[in-house]
Amino acid sequence: MSQAENAAIVRRGRRSIRIRHGLPEVIITVFLLSLALVIILPMIIPFMFVFKTQMEYNYHPWALPKALNWINFREAWKAVRIDQGLMNTVLVSFGAIATTVPPAALAGYIFARYRSKATEIAFYAILIGYFVPAQMVLVPLYKMEVAFRIKDTLVGLFLPMAAFGIPFWVLIYRSFFATLPQELSEAARIDGAGHTFTFFKVMLPLANPATALALLLVFIGAWSDYLLSLILLSSSKNFTMQLRVTSFLYAYGPDRMPKYAAAAVIAMLPTVILYIIGHKYIIQGTVAGAVKE
Amino acid sequence: MSDRGSGGQAAAIAGPSHIRDTAKIPFIIIFLLPAFVFLAVFLYYPIAETFRISTTKSTGIGQELYVGLGNYLSLIQNEEFLAGLWHVFMWAFWSILIQLPIAFLIAFSLTFYVNKFTKPLRSIFYLSNVLPTAIVAMIGRFMFAPKTGIIASISKALGWKWLGAIDFMGNPDMAFWTLFAIATWMYTGFPIIFLMARIEQIPKEVREAAELDGATGWRYAFSIVLPQLSYPFRIIMVLMTTGSLKLFDLPYILLTGGPGNATVTLGITLYRDGFINWNYGRAAAIGVVIFVLSLGLTIAQFSLGNKKEAK
Repeated sequence: MSQAENAAIVRRGRRSIRIRHGLPEVIITVFLLSLALVIILPMIIPFMFVFKTQMEYNYHPWALPKALNWINFREAWKAVRIDQGLMNTVLVSFGAIATTVPPAALAGYIFARYRSKATEIAFYAILIGYFVPAQMVLVPLYKMEVAFRIKDTLVGLFLPMAAFGIPFWVLIYRSFFATLPQELSEAARIDGAGHTFTFFKVMLPLANPATALALLLVFIGAWSDYLLSLILLSSSKNFTMQLRVTSFLYAYGPDRMPKYAAAAVIAMLPTVILYIIGHKYIIQGTVAGAVKE
Repeated sequence: MSDRGSGGQAAAIAGPSHIRDTAKIPFIIIFLLPAFVFLAVFLYYPIAETFRISTTKSTGIGQELYVGLGNYLSLIQNEEFLAGLWHVFMWAFWSILIQLPIAFLIAFSLTFYVNKFTKPLRSIFYLSNVLPTAIVAMIGRFMFAPKTGIIASISKALGWKWLGAIDFMGNPDMAFWTLFAIATWMYTGFPIIFLMARIEQIPKEVREAAELDGATGWRYAFSIVLPQLSYPFRIIMVLMTTGSLKLFDLPYILLTGGPGNATVTLGITLYRDGFINWNYGRAAAIGVVIFVLSLGLTIAQFSLGNKKEAK
C-alpha cells in the first residue's frame, strides 16, 4: 500500500472519529484549555504589574500600565545583586555539567557494551546511588566539606550535585548505548581502532541526543537547586539565584507587588526560555523510563 | 582505508577477535573510575558516616559521644518529628488519591481527543514542573498572600468577602492544603506526560476494536486503557511516596514549616536539627529514617504490584 493511500485512510479514520465524538470532544477540549490557563495564568499575571509604579498599582492594580516603567526591574536587580547571582548560578550549572556528564557517559558505555559479572556488580553499586535521597547524606557531606575547606565555595556545591546526578545519567547512557547497533563498534574495532578510539570517535558522537538531553536537564537541575545551596553556601557573595530569590521573598513580599513581580519575572525567564527551546527533548527524556517494563 | 578494512575483516574471521583484548580490562577500569570516585567520596562514604553519626551525640565541635539508639528514641518522643512524619504520609496519601486520578483523566483526554487545541497542551502542563521551587513559592505567595495577594485582590474587586476572609497561609488547618494545591499545580505535569507516553503505546487497533464493540469514551478509558497502566502507576506511586519523604523546598521556602508545626516535613526537621540546632546525631538519625522508609516503601509497592499481577 502506498504512503498516500495510507495517509488517506488515516485521514478518513480521523474524520469518522471526530464526527462521532462531536460535542464531548468540544466540551473536553474547552475544559483542558481552561486547565492549561490555570497553569499559565499565575506565570503571566506578574507581567501585568512589573511596569507599574507602586502608586499606580495601589489604585488600579488590574488596569493596563500607563507607561513601560523599568524601574522595578532595576531596583529588584540591585536589591539582591542579581548579576552576581546569575554569575554564580551559571558557574555552578556549567561545573555540574562538566562533572556529571563525562563520568556518566564513560560508565554508561561500559555497562552497555562490556557486560560481564564484574561490570554487572559495578552497575548495581551505581544503582544504589540512584535510590539514596540527598537528605540522607547532608550531615556527613557538610562535615566533609568543612574538613576539605570547600564549604561555601561554588566547587563545593557542584561536586556533590554531580555525585547525586551521575547514577541517573549512567542509566540513561547505558540504555542509549545499548540501542546502538553492535556492528558499528565491531566494524571500528576490526578496522584496528582501539577501545578508546572506538568510544570517542564512533560511539560518543552517536550518543549526541542523550548528551544534548543531559546538558539541558543537568543545567536546569543545577539552576533550580535549593537545598544543597542553602546548606553549603553561607556568605552572600556566593549565593545562587534561588537563594537570592528566596531572600527577596522574605524581604519584600507581595505588599510591594511591582518590585516583587519584577524579581519573579527575572528569576523565572531563563528556565522558561530553556523550556520553550527544549521542551520536546525534556519531555522525551523525562518519560524515557515509562516505555520500558 | 577500505583496503585495510577488508584485510582486518579477514584477520578477524581467521582468528578470535578478543586476541588483542589485553587492553580491555584497564580500559574498563579507567572508564568506570571517574564515576566511582565521585560516588565513593560523596555518596558511599557519607552513607556509612550517616549510620555511624546517628548513633552518637555530636555537635560538630568537641567529642562525639556514643549513645546507641538514643537519637532514635528521642525522635519518637519528639513532637516536631512526629508531625513531620504524619505530614509526609498525608502528603503521599493525598498525592496518590488526588493528583494521580487527575493526571490520568487529563492524560487520557489529551490522547483520546487529539486536535490542534489539545496537541500543544502536553508541553504546557509540564511547564510548571521545570520551574525552580523558589519561583513556585514566590508565585504561590503572590497568589495566596493575605490582603495583597492576587486571590485577595480579586475577591475584593468582586466583593466576595467570604473568599477574602480565608487565611490561606496563616491558618494552621488551611496551610497544608494551600501547599498541597500549589504542589498539585506544580507537579501534576509529570504523571500526565508519563501516563501519556504509555497510553500512546497502545496500538491503534485496540481502540478501533473497542469502538466496534461499543466501548467508547469513558468505558474505553476505564476498562481498556486503565488496566494497561499498572506499571507506570506503580512507578508514579513510588515517586510520589519517596518525593513526599524528601519534601523540603516548597514548605520550607513558603512557610518554613509553620504556622507552628502545621507544614513541617521530615526534610524540614532534618534541616532544623542538623543546621540550625547543630544536633548532628539526631539529624543523621532522621536521614536514616528517610532512607529506610523510602527503600522499604519502594520495595513494598513493587512487590505488592508483582504479586497482584502473578495472580
